[in-house]
Amino acid sequence: MTIVMDGLRYLAYILIFPGFLFCFLTGMLLCGIDRKLVARMQKRIGPPILQPFYDFFKLLGKETIVPAAANRTVFLLAPLVGLAAQVVLQLFIPVFHFNAFRGVADVIVILYLLLIPALSVILGAASSGSPYAGVGLSREMVTVLSVELPLVLVLLAVAKTVGNALGTGLCFSLTDIVNYQIANGSLLTRLSMLPAAAAMLLIIPGETGSHPFDAAEAETEICEGMLAEYSGAPLAVYKLSHAVKLLTMTSLFVALFLGGIGGGVMTLLSGLSPAAAGAIGLVLEILILFLLCVVLVAVCVSLLHAVTARLRIEQLFKYYWTVVTGLAAVSVVLAWYGL
Amino acid sequence: MMQHYPILAIMTYFLGAFLIVIFGKNRTVRNAVGFLATAVPLCLLITLVKPVMMGGDIIAYWMGGRVPAGGYAIGIALEVDALSLFFGLLVATAVFAAMLYSFSYMSHDDNEPQYYTLFLMLCGGVMGLVLSGDLFNMFIMVEILTFAAVALTAFRNSVFGALEAAFKYLVVGSIGSSCILAGTIMLYAQAHTLNFAQLSAMIPGNLNLATTVAYALLFIGFCTKAFLVPFHPLAADAHGAAPAPVSVLISGVLTKSGLYGIIRLTYILFRTMNLGTVQFWLVFLGSVSMFVCVTMALAQHDFKRLLAFHSISQIGYVLTAAGLATALGVSAGLYHAMNHTLFKGLLFLCAGAVLHETGTTDLDKLGGLSKKMPHTTVLFLVGAFSISGIPPFNGFASKWLIYQAAYQKGVESGNIGFLLVTICCLVTSTLTLASFVKVTQSVFFGQLPKEYENVREVSFGMRLAMGLLALLCIVTGLFPGLVTTFLTEPAARAVFGANHYINAMMGAGYAESFGLADMLPVSFYSAGVWSPISWLCLLMIMLLAVAIVAVSSKYDQVSALAKTAAAAEAAAVAGPRYGSGSPAEGKYELFFGGEESVYSQVGGDDMFWGFKHNWRHYFSFMHNLHSGIVNDYALWAVIALALAMLYAMIIL
Repeated sequence: MTIVMDGLRYLAYILIFPGFLFCFLTGMLLCGIDRKLVARMQKRIGPPILQPFYDFFKLLGKETIVPAAANRTVFLLAPLVGLAAQVVLQLFIPVFHFNAFRGVADVIVILYLLLIPALSVILGAASSGSPYAGVGLSREMVTVLSVELPLVLVLLAVAKTVGNALGTGLCFSLTDIVNYQIANGSLLTRLSMLPAAAAMLLIIPGETGSHPFDAAEAETEICEGMLAEYSGAPLAVYKLSHAVKLLTMTSLFVALFLGGIGGGVMTLLSGLSPAAAGAIGLVLEILILFLLCVVLVAVCVSLLHAVTARLRIEQLFKYYWTVVTGLAAVSVVLAWYGL
Repeated sequence: MMQHYPILAIMTYFLGAFLIVIFGKNRTVRNAVGFLATAVPLCLLITLVKPVMMGGDIIAYWMGGRVPAGGYAIGIALEVDALSLFFGLLVATAVFAAMLYSFSYMSHDDNEPQYYTLFLMLCGGVMGLVLSGDLFNMFIMVEILTFAAVALTAFRNSVFGALEAAFKYLVVGSIGSSCILAGTIMLYAQAHTLNFAQLSAMIPGNLNLATTVAYALLFIGFCTKAFLVPFHPLAADAHGAAPAPVSVLISGVLTKSGLYGIIRLTYILFRTMNLGTVQFWLVFLGSVSMFVCVTMALAQHDFKRLLAFHSISQIGYVLTAAGLATALGVSAGLYHAMNHTLFKGLLFLCAGAVLHETGTTDLDKLGGLSKKMPHTTVLFLVGAFSISGIPPFNGFASKWLIYQAAYQKGVESGNIGFLLVTICCLVTSTLTLASFVKVTQSVFFGQLPKEYENVREVSFGMRLAMGLLALLCIVTGLFPGLVTTFLTEPAARAVFGANHYINAMMGAGYAESFGLADMLPVSFYSAGVWSPISWLCLLMIMLLAVAIVAVSSKYDQVSALAKTAAAAEAAAVAGPRYGSGSPAEGKYELFFGGEESVYSQVGGDDMFWGFKHNWRHYFSFMHNLHSGIVNDYALWAVIALALAMLYAMIIL
């Protein structure tokens, strides 16, 4: 009986929260809010906030065209694998106290799991046979390369700081990192972590491919690059993956640097019975997480999108490997010497 | 009976080689002998897993029953501990797959019997090296395998560059072999014995200038066998010219013999040397090899040369991890050595399949093969994901352990250098992914040039060999716990348990009579969490859910009108869609509207120019350095030897 109950519980985690349905709704909402914000910053009215949902369902009804030069299986399967990997990744990122699957993947694994959705887009694009997609995937791979180095440094800095504080030397478990912050306050409040947080803020638009780091998609010059040949339902799936990636990257930021807010929520509810506090706390924490994600999207995606122009791919690479890596390296060195 | 298995494993290879010389004219006989000569040693070694890996036994075998007398070991000995058996198993597996593949791959070549003879000589040489219990036999086996490898490199001597590659290999390989001989002689002069067990009991008390210089000589000798920097250009040339199964042997098997030598030398024979300085040496050399070779690979436009550089880059990982001198590090390094044999073998066989069907491995000319060779494409992707460290394939499991071991070592020792090593490992892994994306796009996806329209899938035998290795790649990636418990941890324990090794050979209490203690308390503590099976289950459930939604919304619906239109178009225009596709005009001529193909970033050599542009000074420096002249490479070898000897004299 308990096995069945556990199975159902985990199925609910996978399909509803923090899995598929949650990712679908919040990711699409974040996307819509982003579009609206950019429009308002540019003095346009912009689409309704629910526009990504409309787009998604409309695309689902459209015809799917597979290019004659494409490898049909890879072309159609790649978006699905990418979406599934992206949503599974979201399961490992704790929502403050709540963590659906602990003991499956640590920070380094998450770093590599982030590659799978990118890789599936790349493979899908490659299989289409289109030269536009070829240019796009070449640029996407360089973008991944650029972002990887600073992201590694950010994660190592956090792992070392929390490890120092816990006395284990280094700590790779995301759950432990968040729990430590709940007990001792957010890492963002530490001076030594500020450069790493700034670097992470710049990594988010790079990972999600928004302005000015969208050389790989560049609608105006290479027709959305890797998505050039996609239409109908597979395109809808890619759009959804992209929306979920926005959620994943922002909630990863929250888990790494703002986990301490969960401690505040619990002290607010300390008067209630444990069961009630648990339930209300979870709802509150989800809301807080969503609000923080919106703020992060507004700061590092929408604002940058509205005020900058696209970088060329080699400028992008140089920017990440000098400025952003430099910021992250400062944090690592400070963390290394226990500051 | 079990005592005799190691010598039988070695003998079977050599016996097979001689039998093929005599009876090899007939294909059926030849293939049967080849199959048996590689299958039997594999079975023999697998039966040894239980006592040696799980029971911790060490098999000591004295040829002719000449056991040591009066504390001196004079006879020829084989000694199989968990470390030897681990490498032996790798060798036997890779050799078996390469043999299966050879049957149809080599069937169009002349001189097949000679090929199989040399093939089995090489296998026997490597197997003898890893199972040998004394230094001089090791040298003899090094000679056998070097000359067999040279001959096999030049086997297709009508191929452009084959003889040149073999000549380069011969020259630099001989320098390496001479170093090993010189080192052996110096050790013999000092300790008056060649037996490993006795040497490792004697050397700790006799660490003087002569023995440390002998270490430097042996070390450089084994470096040439593993093709570590600065010997990497040889590997590229050799792999570019050799037939694919020989590449598997050179990369998966021969380099392992070098690694085995380095590990045996450093941790068993010279274990009381100043470990910190040796560690710096190993980790530095490993990191440099790792990084230099991955960037060299990014600049290649030949499939097999690219794989060759990656091969050394991965060996760099192994050396770095083994040099950390922690139990976790050595275990992670051995794990990666195993994975390297599996995925590199697989990738070389895929490259061979492409060469077999299309006649070229030039990335600038190939394209779109995934439609013609679907199975090879899938198998290649498994290998590419494994080597790039994409979870849940095996490369990820071992690299993940290496990152942790390196960072943990840094935290324990407080040395910020290990932080750089960790970052170097992580970045190298992404660069590896980049260059395999390049291969995937340039060979298997993209446009199919007209001349390859009639390409077919390779034969079943070749796919079977590739499938075997791909299966092992997946299994060892999904069950890292089993691999570490049954294979790498016993081997790592053997690395740190020199006293046990000595006593098994020389009699109980021999090591203690020299006042020797084992090195480290062995702990495999790891700070990370990774459970591939749970992740895979989650992914499968999610994929199922997503797929059900997708199918229910008619995911790949195509209107009837579009179908007829596509059919009409296909009937009207047979050929690539974006360009005329004739080879002279390049792959994407129409798209670039007359622009020179040099500026294309779509596939082939210069795909990641956004990256390479920023590193152009580095790349032009490397380009000038790798002149391709054998005199230069021999000079590098001599310089490396001089530096190693200086380092040994001054610091060790």
